[in-house]
Amino acid sequence: MIRNYFKIAWRNLLRNKSFSILNIVGLSIGLSVTAIISIWISFELGFNQFHEKKDRIYEVYNEYFVDGEIWTWNSTPKIMGSIIKKDYPEVESVSRYNYDNTFLFSIGDKRIKSTGTMVDPDFLNIFSFPLVEGSIDKVLEDVNSVVITETFAKKLFNNEPAVGKTVKVDNVDTFKVSGVLRDLPNNTEFNFEFLMPWNYLKQKGWHDENWSNNSVATYVLLKEETNYDAFSQKIKTLRQSYDKESPEMETFLYPYTRSYLYSEFENGKETGGRIDVIRLFGIIAAIILIIACINFMNLSTARSEKRAKEVGIRKVIGAERPLLIGQFLGESILISTISGVLALLIVVTLLPSFSTLVAKPISLDITNVWFWLSAFGVILFTGILAGSYPALYLSRFKPSTVLKGTYKKISSPVTPRKVLVVLQFSSAIILITASIIVTQQLNKVQDRQTGYSKHNLIYTIMEGDIEKNYSSIKKELLTSGIAESVTKTNSPITETWSNTWGVEWKGKSEDNMTLVHRLAADDAITKTMRMEIIAGRDFDLKTYPTDSTAAIVNESMVKLMNFENPIGQIVKDNGIDWRIVGVVKNFVINSPFQKVEPMVIEGAKAWFNVIHIKFNQKITTAESLANAEAIFLKYNPEYPFNYEFVDQVYAKKFDTEKRTSSLISLFTLLTIFISCLGLFGLASYMAENRIKEIGIRKVLGASVQSITTLLSKDFLKLVGIAIVLAVPISWYMMNKWLQEFAYRIHISWWTFVLAGLSALAIALITVSYQAIKAAIVNPVKSLRTE
Amino acid sequence: MLLQLNNIFKWVNSGGQRIFLLKDINLSVQEGEFISIMGPSGSGKSTLLNVIGMLDNFDEGEYHFLNESVHTLKEKHRANLYKEYIGFVFQSYHLLDELTVKENLEMPLLYKKYKSSERKAMVADMLDRFNIVGKKDLFPAQLSGGQQQLVGVARALIAIPKLILADEPTGNLNSKQSEEIMELFKKLNKEGVTIIQVTHSEKNAAYGSRIINLLDGRKTS
Repeated sequence: MIRNYFKIAWRNLLRNKSFSILNIVGLSIGLSVTAIISIWISFELGFNQFHEKKDRIYEVYNEYFVDGEIWTWNSTPKIMGSIIKKDYPEVESVSRYNYDNTFLFSIGDKRIKSTGTMVDPDFLNIFSFPLVEGSIDKVLEDVNSVVITETFAKKLFNNEPAVGKTVKVDNVDTFKVSGVLRDLPNNTEFNFEFLMPWNYLKQKGWHDENWSNNSVATYVLLKEETNYDAFSQKIKTLRQSYDKESPEMETFLYPYTRSYLYSEFENGKETGGRIDVIRLFGIIAAIILIIACINFMNLSTARSEKRAKEVGIRKVIGAERPLLIGQFLGESILISTISGVLALLIVVTLLPSFSTLVAKPISLDITNVWFWLSAFGVILFTGILAGSYPALYLSRFKPSTVLKGTYKKISSPVTPRKVLVVLQFSSAIILITASIIVTQQLNKVQDRQTGYSKHNLIYTIMEGDIEKNYSSIKKELLTSGIAESVTKTNSPITETWSNTWGVEWKGKSEDNMTLVHRLAADDAITKTMRMEIIAGRDFDLKTYPTDSTAAIVNESMVKLMNFENPIGQIVKDNGIDWRIVGVVKNFVINSPFQKVEPMVIEGAKAWFNVIHIKFNQKITTAESLANAEAIFLKYNPEYPFNYEFVDQVYAKKFDTEKRTSSLISLFTLLTIFISCLGLFGLASYMAENRIKEIGIRKVLGASVQSITTLLSKDFLKLVGIAIVLAVPISWYMMNKWLQEFAYRIHISWWTFVLAGLSALAIALITVSYQAIKAAIVNPVKSLRTE
Repeated sequence: MLLQLNNIFKWVNSGGQRIFLLKDINLSVQEGEFISIMGPSGSGKSTLLNVIGMLDNFDEGEYHFLNESVHTLKEKHRANLYKEYIGFVFQSYHLLDELTVKENLEMPLLYKKYKSSERKAMVADMLDRFNIVGKKDLFPAQLSGGQQQLVGVARALIAIPKLILADEPTGNLNSKQSEEIMELFKKLNKEGVTIIQVTHSEKNAAYGSRIINLLDGRKTS
């Protein structure tokens, strides 16, 4: 019997090729979208979750009440870790995690740059990063010991055993490899190739006990019996007893398992984070799958008249209803299985591209039993869900009615089908509007005037002997004609690395806690960056040696300080009086989506990390780079010459929004496509149902055109309703989305007109095919009975 | 006695009026009879046939089929009854388009849960008996009307029913094909199958042993 079902189902598929293709394509798109999104979601949900003690791991956070708002952040003073370990018996272990350090490792002639960090010895006890060689308790004991990953070990020592070998770090310190770590999985936030003991930081004099320098992460492993809530109350006041420098701050422990998905705070409350995106796309996946399933039902019932006869015959020759239900379910399960196989192919083919699109290393683990179980589950569920309506509906027909050929379905004004079309097209219109608005917003921000010139501008991080030989390098770059201008700064021009509310100026009110960004530049900053000076002048150390304590401020800063003439005024920061010599037009340094914040550019007396070089326009970039490299290698022979083009770095600021934009466009296309399938099914259903009516109308003299209009009109009405529903929803949603950006477009009315018109056009094309097909049928054919 | 209808009424309500489809029908059929039901369009021939075949309900009266009171039976029992004892032949054949001749014949047996070996034997037997072995792997669309109806009759017969109900079995056939089918019916009747057919043709009706005339839902003879 089962074999018979599948035989018939298979032949039915072949006999109705266009119908089957519509069904299978629609369903496999639905399934593959759901699968891809599920794989992505399960990757995101599994992120950071592999640590055995994950439920006891916490990250130390601070809370601070300022300007009527609670600020929350997770960097801590270096000393905090040891204090927690000392003062709280509830804590099993603590590890600090320094920000990323990049060092040059050398063995003989081999030089490899690598990024890692310094941690407390307990780090490997807290987190599950298994050692391939070495023992957890000993590897980070000695100051000059280093633990490296397998890949890094291979890079350094090829296939020779690494443990016990020595490497030179930054040409100064000699380290002994004490252990080898298995390579980090791709679902962890950590990204280190080596770990060094915290004591090395102390040895180098990089450690400080300054409570106002919040720069490292601190992780805490609570003892198993510790009650989190009680402990939270206890640790809240940690800073009160030690921290005399910063304003009143509270300390709290944030569960490490939530750090990846949540950890966005607003006014002291956790407001979400990545989980929002995951939820959004989860909903989109569900909607697409449901739409695809309902389409399937639609398309199946659309052929009900034909199938009705079959049901009649089968009943007459002895089929019982359960058997018929089984048959129809068998058919839909067959279709969903085929779609499932197709979807699997689509997933395998498209997952790498999707992985690039969302910038996550997601992949399909085909050895995972859960994957197959859920895949089969979904296929079966979809088959049953999609087949249930036709199965139950068709199997109810009475043979005496359907075999007489008098069977006709009476249409009611609001059928579920119509509601479905409205829903499908509403989502399509919402998505079309969203893609238009996201693209507009992206274009607007990309076209934003940055306030400086990125052209021919590169930067390089100072390392090794660069700082020492800076003046020689600069001199040579300028005299050889490679560079037009060279400036040392504390951070690249594409981001600030430092900010403070501690800057003071005359007349600043006590409670003014506005954050001011710091940049530092030794000389000729506005020349190198081609910034526009509004008042005063650029730094010029040659002419004005006192410029080492001069400052340039931006427009926002002038507004904040509220000076009529800011030139000559003093801003106090880090115990130095910086005298303002110039004002520059606001320029974009952090997010181009936000407004420009107040900034002070401090003079040559500050700290520096980066060199910016404006290349000579007359020389090709390739030539400039080659010449610059030669100069850098001459003065800093141990290090390779690394540089970044400012325009490329700046372009990366749009990655997230570009990703959103492409994802939304992708889902828009899919939704439109699936909606069209649904509409197509509905139109064919209607054409089949009204075939007699059309025949009669034609006999009475109706033209093809008038019949096409008659048939299409109903559907366009539905799309009209969809537009009415979708416009306010999409306006509300997109308006809310735009609120995130200080620099944003205004939503214009034509966006909705465009979205509505395209939906109408798409619907018209889909429907008119069926309508015309029905309208040109010879009435002799449609009116003939049996 | 195979079946007996006593005072059968069937009606529909339309526009506040009751329209009778069958009015006070009394009929008893003995095993081995070959009955032709005749009458003009709309006289209730097909309705009567459907009522006898238990595909349609009636509103009043009694129907006994092989000692069972059909009018008191539940839908499901009724279905079981007709599945077991009645074979149907239709004017437009009503073969399953997706199945081959062989599979069409096998279908009723599948529904009656015959074993595979039994089914094969019965299908082969039937193909043989109707001389359509050569056509067993063809689909209905590849056959002529007469051949399709031959398959239709074979399918009605395969589960060895006591009664064959044929609703204008030759309505879509030409005269030669008609004659063949009627001869077949005659032969089957001789072999002991009870047949009730609806027909417009006097000539076809003459094959039967008894003619029932209907007019406006009433039996006139």
